[in-house]
Amino acid sequence: MRPERLLGLLPGLGFLAVLLAALEWAVNEGLIRRALMPPPSAIWEVLSDLIASGEVLGPLLATLRLVFIGFAIGSALGIALGIAMGWWGAAYRLLEPLVELLRPIPKAALVPPLMLFLGIGDTMKITSVSLAVTFPVLVNTLQGVRGVDRVLLDSARTHGWGTARVLRLVVLPAALPFILAGMKTSLGLALIITVLSEMLTGQGGLGFLILDMQRSFLIRQMYAWLVILALVGLGLNAFFAWAEARALHWQNRS
Amino acid sequence: MAILELEAVEKSFPARGGPPTLAMDRLSLSVRDGEFLSILGPSGCGKSTLLQIAAGLMAPSAGQVRVAGRPVTGPPPEAVYVFQQYGRSLLPWRSVRDNVAFAVEHRPGMSRGRAREAADVQLASVGLTGFGDHFPWQLSGGMQQRVALARALAAEPKILLMDEPFSAVDALTRLDLHRLMLELWEKRGLTVVLVTHDVEEAVALSDRVALLTKRPSTIARVVETGLPRPRDAVEVRETARFLELRHELLDALLTRGGHAA
Repeated sequence: MRPERLLGLLPGLGFLAVLLAALEWAVNEGLIRRALMPPPSAIWEVLSDLIASGEVLGPLLATLRLVFIGFAIGSALGIALGIAMGWWGAAYRLLEPLVELLRPIPKAALVPPLMLFLGIGDTMKITSVSLAVTFPVLVNTLQGVRGVDRVLLDSARTHGWGTARVLRLVVLPAALPFILAGMKTSLGLALIITVLSEMLTGQGGLGFLILDMQRSFLIRQMYAWLVILALVGLGLNAFFAWAEARALHWQNRS
Repeated sequence: MAILELEAVEKSFPARGGPPTLAMDRLSLSVRDGEFLSILGPSGCGKSTLLQIAAGLMAPSAGQVRVAGRPVTGPPPEAVYVFQQYGRSLLPWRSVRDNVAFAVEHRPGMSRGRAREAADVQLASVGLTGFGDHFPWQLSGGMQQRVALARALAAEPKILLMDEPFSAVDALTRLDLHRLMLELWEKRGLTVVLVTHDVEEAVALSDRVALLTKRPSTIARVVETGLPRPRDAVEVRETARFLELRHELLDALLTRGGHAA
């Protein structure tokens, strides 16, 4: 990271430190009930224990696994359907009403009915996450495909390129900025639905632990796992921003 | 011998809440094998439409297009279309070399390496040796149009269909590209159909100039330039014949508004 970038982070990080210190002080002064909100230093102790003992690894990997598998399946489905609907009018007319019907449903609400059919195992969780991921990716891909420059497509046609090749080597890369914007939205949704389905099924992962600790009145532990979850979200976003910058290096025209 | 023939071609576009508007009316044109022909007309007269129909990129509403004697139903392998919007016709995520390789890499028996070698040869022929690893947006407009030209040439077409290819560059770059165009045309025995609204460009480069009418467009007349070959794109502008043709064609475009005589 460049020095000026680090310097730019300083005010925000400083403010965060002040807030934490204020919280610590408020809890110690008895302004906030310790039973509900332990001081940050106490949460930090639990957190560093979890990390040092390696206890964090199992639940963390369980959650990440669901996020990634669901994200991959949902993205692939969204991209494939989006390209089909953006390219072939017949596919659009066939699928558009269905998509418009399913799209506005908050996918969290689909977890209970899916549990009826698929039980409480990974199949159900991955299906829920994939469903949540598919729609934003689909809608963005569709928009991206429709926006591909006519001149670019005609250039491929005049050079004798077939449809399969045009879709793979012209339409897909041209729509990539849109596709990635959809995937960025979906990555957040994937984490939400993973955590929710872990809570609802009472099985494994960070989501389950947060709920379980709260029910067991292990409040410090609950906050420690919550911090881990926050770091997971931060890490996923940073990873995605890095991957996006690499994939779209050609857009950086400065 | 005609390599490209348009026979009574018509084109109408759907109009909102009315009958379709006729953009092209029974237009016939025969392009000889190996000639440099310009299509000259006022703006908005449908020059690009005509060229896109000839390239098989747009279907005519009536009439027939033939390339090398065969009816055109899609882009024919003999012809390549060069766009006015060169910047938009290049793939921004591909290097200059890979943009040129685009023309041949899909052909049977072509490896990635051979396509790139072929691309480097074409880049050299348009004066862009050493720019293969650049990206299109790192080049000037004139250089981008050279890349588009190299890509078209890499396909080894018999016919180049060029849609105002030099209209978006500055005057000096344009002259430079005119010279390059004449050199390539002479060396390769190409047939070139060039659409332009620039009378001097049409006369300086062409064997024949076809004058289009306003919409619905059709050919008003075809003029043989009769200028010597090989010719220099700058020197030819000082000849009496050039000035005479320029006067005649400008007159036809301005005073008669390009209406059919």
